Amino acid sequence: MYAGIDDFLAGTVPFVKGGLEAGEPVLVVESTSKISMLRAELGRDAELVHFADMAGVGANPARIIPAWRDFVNQHGGGGRRLRGIGEPIWKTRGPFELIECQRHESLLNTAFAGGDPWWLLCPYDTVALDPDVIDEARRSHPYVTDGATFRQSNDYRGLDASGAPFDVPLPEPSSIAQELAFQNGDLVALRGLVYRRASAAGLDASKSADLVLAVNEIATNSLQHGGGKGTLRVWEDMSALTCEVRDSGQFNSPLVDRERPAAGAAGPRGLWLANQLCDLVQIRTFATGTAVRLHMWLKPAAHEHNHNSDTIDSITLA
Amino acid sequence: MGVSFRVDVSVQDMAGQFPSAKSAGAEVYTDKQLLVLRSRDPVGIKFAGEIDASNSHAVSTSIAAAITPEADLHVDVTALIFCDISGIRAFVATAEALPEGRRMLLHGMPPQLETVIRVVGWNELPTLVVCECGSD
Repeated sequence: MYAGIDDFLAGTVPFVKGGLEAGEPVLVVESTSKISMLRAELGRDAELVHFADMAGVGANPARIIPAWRDFVNQHGGGGRRLRGIGEPIWKTRGPFELIECQRHESLLNTAFAGGDPWWLLCPYDTVALDPDVIDEARRSHPYVTDGATFRQSNDYRGLDASGAPFDVPLPEPSSIAQELAFQNGDLVALRGLVYRRASAAGLDASKSADLVLAVNEIATNSLQHGGGKGTLRVWEDMSALTCEVRDSGQFNSPLVDRERPAAGAAGPRGLWLANQLCDLVQIRTFATGTAVRLHMWLKPAAHEHNHNSDTIDSITLA
Repeated sequence: MGVSFRVDVSVQDMAGQFPSAKSAGAEVYTDKQLLVLRSRDPVGIKFAGEIDASNSHAVSTSIAAAITPEADLHVDVTALIFCDISGIRAFVATAEALPEGRRMLLHGMPPQLETVIRVVGWNELPTLVVCECGSD
């Protein structure tokens, strides 16, 4: 937890330096402005640190875990610990993105339990973020720090709950939704509907094709694993075009949409693909079935990380 | 020779779009959303329409008829307006099962398909080659 830039640097710079001194590979995924500040503080040591722009890696938060995993696979091994800094939640994240970021934070525990030793620091801006967000951070992280000292979080929900099926309800569509029930033989019509809606919403040819493919794959999953039929709903509002596929299947692989498919023919790929092609994917499993929502933003500027907000909002004048 | 399709075209029989091909006996497979033809120059297979989980089984069997050990296999996908993962998987599996030293050359690959192959991690296979050369 940090309040202000000085606090942020006080919590992160020693962490990075400690890693470098111990010969541990370090990856920092942050906003470009924070990366610049860290580089300035680290001086020549910055050359030994791996940096990545969070707005690029984690625009869709489901892409963050695969990025960490790639780093661990590339630089880990031999029992050597790795260190990372990842700040996925910033003030201008929309409400759907925020809830999925929080789900991501929880899944970090599941994703790296029992693997290579890995020390991951997740900065939270206590000045800029809502108290609810800070509370949730305490529930999703086993340890919290306010600077130099670490202590266990009494509110941590634990490893089992972290990886449990996600059943936080999805809000009803924000506008009138077009609905299409589908079963075997209906995929051509389903794709046609998504394509027409994507074009009407102003998505370019490439994004439209991406959305059509993603929805097709999720619907195919419904046909093959979700009871042989499903329901598609499509709606558009000011910020996004959303396609939702519901079926009666149960989904219980919390990380499958975040695992890079192995080369070769077999294995699930649809949800992974959806995460690479869509701006946000929300997966929920309830007692009655599964719902997958695919979002394509219509006004990308509204969701970009405002790089200037770091310097303006999070500096506190002592 | 290019063929253009609107995405929302619906035809009872895709072969109706290619009357000359049908009469020449070049039709290998047809259903409500896909037509597969033998092509002559270069010798190979042409796909037109849409491949998804309902018909991706036809990919391997259609291609099998055109495989010869003496030459690489040319596959024209210029008119393939949609192909899902199961379809790509079928192309990949067929390429992997070619005779020793033989490759599958994909012509007219839509950029979308290249993206999917790369995203899913199948762009490193030596037997499946995206051909930059012009088809026909």
